[in-house]
Amino acid sequence: MEYLLHIIIMILLYVMLSQSLTLTAGYSGLISLAHAGFYGIGAYTSALLSVHFGFPFLATLPIAMLVSGIIAIVVSTIALRTVDDYFIIITLGIQVVAFSVMNNWMKVTNGPLGIPGIPAISIFGFEFSSKISFLLLTLVLTVIVFYILRNITKSPFGRILIALSEDEIFTKSLGKKVYFAKVASFTIGAMFAAIPGVLYAHYISYIDPTSFTVDESIFILSIVIIGGMRNLWGSAIAAAVLVILPEALRFIGMPSNIAANMRQIIYGLALVVMMFKYSKGFLVKTK
Amino acid sequence: MSQLIINIILSFSIFLLIGISFILTYYPTRFFHIAHAITLTFSAYFTYFFSQQLHCQIWLAVLLAIVSATIVGMLSEIVLYKPLRKRNASPLILMIASLGLYTVLQNVISILWGDDTKSIRTGGIKVGNEFLGAYITDIQITTIIICISLLVVYVVFMNRSSIGRNIRAVASNPELSNIMGISSDEVILWAFGIGSALVVVAGILIAFDTDMTPTMSFNWLLYGVVAMIIGGVGSNWGLVGGALLLATAQHLGAYYIGSQWMDAIAYIILILFLIWKPLGFSGKRLKKVEI
Repeated sequence: MEYLLHIIIMILLYVMLSQSLTLTAGYSGLISLAHAGFYGIGAYTSALLSVHFGFPFLATLPIAMLVSGIIAIVVSTIALRTVDDYFIIITLGIQVVAFSVMNNWMKVTNGPLGIPGIPAISIFGFEFSSKISFLLLTLVLTVIVFYILRNITKSPFGRILIALSEDEIFTKSLGKKVYFAKVASFTIGAMFAAIPGVLYAHYISYIDPTSFTVDESIFILSIVIIGGMRNLWGSAIAAAVLVILPEALRFIGMPSNIAANMRQIIYGLALVVMMFKYSKGFLVKTK
Repeated sequence: MSQLIINIILSFSIFLLIGISFILTYYPTRFFHIAHAITLTFSAYFTYFFSQQLHCQIWLAVLLAIVSATIVGMLSEIVLYKPLRKRNASPLILMIASLGLYTVLQNVISILWGDDTKSIRTGGIKVGNEFLGAYITDIQITTIIICISLLVVYVVFMNRSSIGRNIRAVASNPELSNIMGISSDEVILWAFGIGSALVVVAGILIAFDTDMTPTMSFNWLLYGVVAMIIGGVGSNWGLVGGALLLATAQHLGAYYIGSQWMDAIAYIILILFLIWKPLGFSGKRLKKVEI
């Protein structure tokens, strides 16, 4: 039972991660490999504030989102000077720098040793220490994130994002602020990626840099692409399938280290196959 | 100090070799062949497989590894990229497909050979040769000599041989080359073959120097890519300058701040270049920077 709850919590965390990237990569076409970096920034900000300064969850969550958002504004104003494949290379760079900071800035992040002893979340005196209560909290936040993202994508701003991803110069000619919209979409994506980071840190109660690597970024991007790029429900389902997959493989008797490799092989293959489907580009219908 | 210079020269020559091998695949196709990294890993593991597991002579193992890993690189073009190009896939799509291929093959290597470090060095660790108060091992000297001579061969090859000229023709305009009777698919396959062979040499040299893990190659490839971008795509001297700048900055950074920051330094240089000099050293126009 505990094990089942754990898997559901992990699925919900990845649903949030992939949906926030769906806004950035799917709707505005900014394929980013830096998402695990922002996930990590959220986790580290919250962990450091609560371990060293005893900040409560209701304070660390907005602060983590704010930190992630500010970093996203700074890096995206630079990275968005490029487009498409060069943009991917730059976001890959951001991811590697973020990982490097987590892994090497011994004084603050404690390097590869990680940060142990992150307290459980408590809101107004109620401790979310049992798995079932944590699951409910995560579910509530997932629903809120989903609701906000759905409203953003259906709003006029969302339509600008779709328009600029399909024809940037035309959108510009309509008087829309393309560059601003891109930065805003990247920043919102990064801020929402901080939420699962905060939850993960308090849930596992220990974080180290290996949870926020390039591979993790590729994994989140695969969920978005397999889910159908501009499909919030699709990425939720893809997240569930890809998180359950290694557990299922282990269940049928595959050694756990090979099951982890098999998961990566399967989503790598899925990426390749999806590229044949999308070979004309990502101009998929939103409905 | 002289140790610092030797380290810079060593990194510089490896960046250069990986850079030219990557340019060979990038130049005629214009997409980032990320799975190029896995060709490098395969070369190291094939050398390990032939020399340690099948007990071949080391020269034979190296030869077999070069051939088989080059085939891996060429197969990726035949099986994956060519069909995608026929469907008019954009460079972005090709790059993501390549990322998928990289993920798959890296995990295949993990399953086949395990995640631990494997070594093809024979005998114990030798103390390097002393040279002006610095130490350099035999394999490092070999690396520098091979890399610099392959650069010369590459420049002559691209300018003098018919295949090299065809590659440049396809790079500047594939449709026109087809009209003139140069098959762009054939030329791209040649470019992938030669590019893979060069990166395979780099991979084997790296493996002899610092052993191997399944994830060894990604950073090396990205250093080559960064050297290419800051050098300006398509310029040989730009690449030399880019590789030299990257190697110098990394080792000075390692000397003054700490060697763990070398990855971050590479990317910070790339980002700085994109802010102030988006066209790279050579000033040649990068495809998509700044609309």
